[in-house]
Amino acid sequence: MKHYDLLIVDDEQRYADMLARRLGLRNLTCQVCYDGRSAIECLAEAAFAVIILDLQLPDLYGTEVLAQIKQRRPDNVVIILTGHGTEKDKQACLAAGAHAFMNKPLDIDRLLTIMNRLKTRSA
Amino acid sequence: MIPTAKDFLGAIWPPFRHKDDALLTPYYTFHDYRQIWGMGIFILMAAALLPLLVMTLIYYQLTEQSIDREAILRTERVASNARRAVTYFLEERLAALTFTVNEMGYDRLTDPGRLKEVLSNLKLGFGGLTDLSVIADDGTQVAYAGPFNLEGKNYSTQPWFMECKQSSACVSEIYLGYRDVPHMVVAVKSLRADGRFFILRATLETERLIQTLDSYRTGEHADIFLVNHAGVLQTPSKYYTGPDQRLTLALPPYSERTQSLVASDAAKRAVVIGYAYIDTKIAATSFILMVVKERAGMMKVWLDLRHQINWFLAVSAVIITVVIILTSTFMVNKIFHADREKAKTMMLAESNAQLASIGQLAAGVAHEINNPLALINETAGYIKDLFLIEDRYKDDTEMVEHIDSIIEAVERCGTITRQLLGFARHFDVQVQPINLKRMVDDVVNFHKKEAEYRNISIHVDIPESIPLIETDRGKLQQIILNLVNNAFQAISNGCFLDIRAKMDDAQHVCLFIRDNGCGISKDHLNKIFEPFFTTKKEGKGTGLGLSITYGLVKKLSGNITVESQTGEGTTFMVRLPIRMEKEIPS
Repeated sequence: MKHYDLLIVDDEQRYADMLARRLGLRNLTCQVCYDGRSAIECLAEAAFAVIILDLQLPDLYGTEVLAQIKQRRPDNVVIILTGHGTEKDKQACLAAGAHAFMNKPLDIDRLLTIMNRLKTRSA
Repeated sequence: MIPTAKDFLGAIWPPFRHKDDALLTPYYTFHDYRQIWGMGIFILMAAALLPLLVMTLIYYQLTEQSIDREAILRTERVASNARRAVTYFLEERLAALTFTVNEMGYDRLTDPGRLKEVLSNLKLGFGGLTDLSVIADDGTQVAYAGPFNLEGKNYSTQPWFMECKQSSACVSEIYLGYRDVPHMVVAVKSLRADGRFFILRATLETERLIQTLDSYRTGEHADIFLVNHAGVLQTPSKYYTGPDQRLTLALPPYSERTQSLVASDAAKRAVVIGYAYIDTKIAATSFILMVVKERAGMMKVWLDLRHQINWFLAVSAVIITVVIILTSTFMVNKIFHADREKAKTMMLAESNAQLASIGQLAAGVAHEINNPLALINETAGYIKDLFLIEDRYKDDTEMVEHIDSIIEAVERCGTITRQLLGFARHFDVQVQPINLKRMVDDVVNFHKKEAEYRNISIHVDIPESIPLIETDRGKLQQIILNLVNNAFQAISNGCFLDIRAKMDDAQHVCLFIRDNGCGISKDHLNKIFEPFFTTKKEGKGTGLGLSITYGLVKKLSGNITVESQTGEGTTFMVRLPIRMEKEIPS
């Protein structure tokens, strides 16, 4: 099974690619999915340290994807990154086991801080 | 200040007559209150006064007619009674002469001694006789008893003699005669043994007749007199004597019975005339008895009463008018106030709806913009990464600066879209008890340094009696902070800021934030809660502060209003429920 640092799930393809490229520049390995189902399929084929998940996906809503991820990999770290998350979404996601809830535009340094903290914790 | 007439008028002038706020005009149900007021008064006045006036006029007419009829009847009755008295007066004397002439016969009457005896007996019986004479058929006086010696005088040309010759008796008109004393002659004809006729003639003083007539005179404006068929007065008239003793009134037409009519006198005044052509059973006369009464005099009691009624009517009309005007004004005012309240509510509801739809639109725009914004952010970030991480253009600091400014601009846009989304969304509210005074003090503390530096005095007056408010801490803090920030931006150095609170009713508290800064112009006042509305220079303000405050107050089930005078300052009033329901209306 292949191992990646990140799985980016976002329906905005160019955004997901660009984010993957920026993280790649920082020596992080990334896999990109553009909808919920393919993201769940990816989980079967590879392992990810962190999953970055958008809420507005074309097939499934982000919270459903989150629930399925948590069902398969209860310990997997999921960070929600959304363009317009409501307080209700935030509460729902955190309750469902999301590690963090972030709004677009993304502050990449904040994401890196979280990643580093996770690395040191697992190390 | 001494109140002027204008102040007084302003105080009683009904508010619907003042020019009102043009913004409210489209929301009124009725537009022309002055017309409604005028029409109301007109209709009420017509309904109240018209029947009153019509009834009064009908009453006047009926009363006048009945009084007129009564006056005519009364005059006729007086005339009828007087006629009977005059007729009786004459008939009595004629009957006495007839009795005498038949009883005594020619021979005994021509005896001077006997004639004197008869005169004295008649004087005793009737009085008012001056003399008595016997006249032969040739008109020569053959015997005389009385104070004047008129024996041998010839009367053949006298009209009474000629009349007496024709009929059995006669009554002369009243004339002055040889003696220049008003008198009248009554005479009866009889036959001598030889078949020739002779006449017994008596001269009557008119005084007794005048006295009899006078006894029927009633009232100040009544007149009673005898006139002959030629219109010459036979007894004195008080008011209608013309030159040569002629009557100044027109003679009434002949009638056998007593009659009455309404005519006008020489001065065109209306007079009621009762009259009778007098004829005795024994002889006809040329007398017309007339009773004349001035109509105005007879109507005087009625006219006085009418005068009083007119006064009463006028006073009543004035009172009715005043009451109608006051009542109409009061009622129209009530309607106007209700309508204005309705208009205000409708305007507020419309502006709320407008605000909400603007909010939704803004949220939609923000939502759509957020994705491309995120892409710009990442792309710019990637370029910057290329510069910094790949070391390709490490020394090109200018490029890095440009990219930083792009990222900074994106961050700014991100803030705006977040605020916009926050403005439209209904976030969960966490209710907890809050001490309002402590919260205000906390917020004021943030500005303490700035206030000291700018020499701004801040007064906080929140009584201890204000209870703990159960509401959302974060949102209330944001509201107060926004309003205080707003005030600080509006005031210049040396001004003041006044924060007060009071209970509005048992369930609501009012917080007032007042400054004496530049104020808000009337045109702007309606728009200040709209998103993106700002009077600050471009780039200095987002125009979202007050619209977010507005949204927050609504979320806390409260409302916010503003009053402002340009150059004098602004007061924001936030009214919040003491105990907020956990269910938030969406």
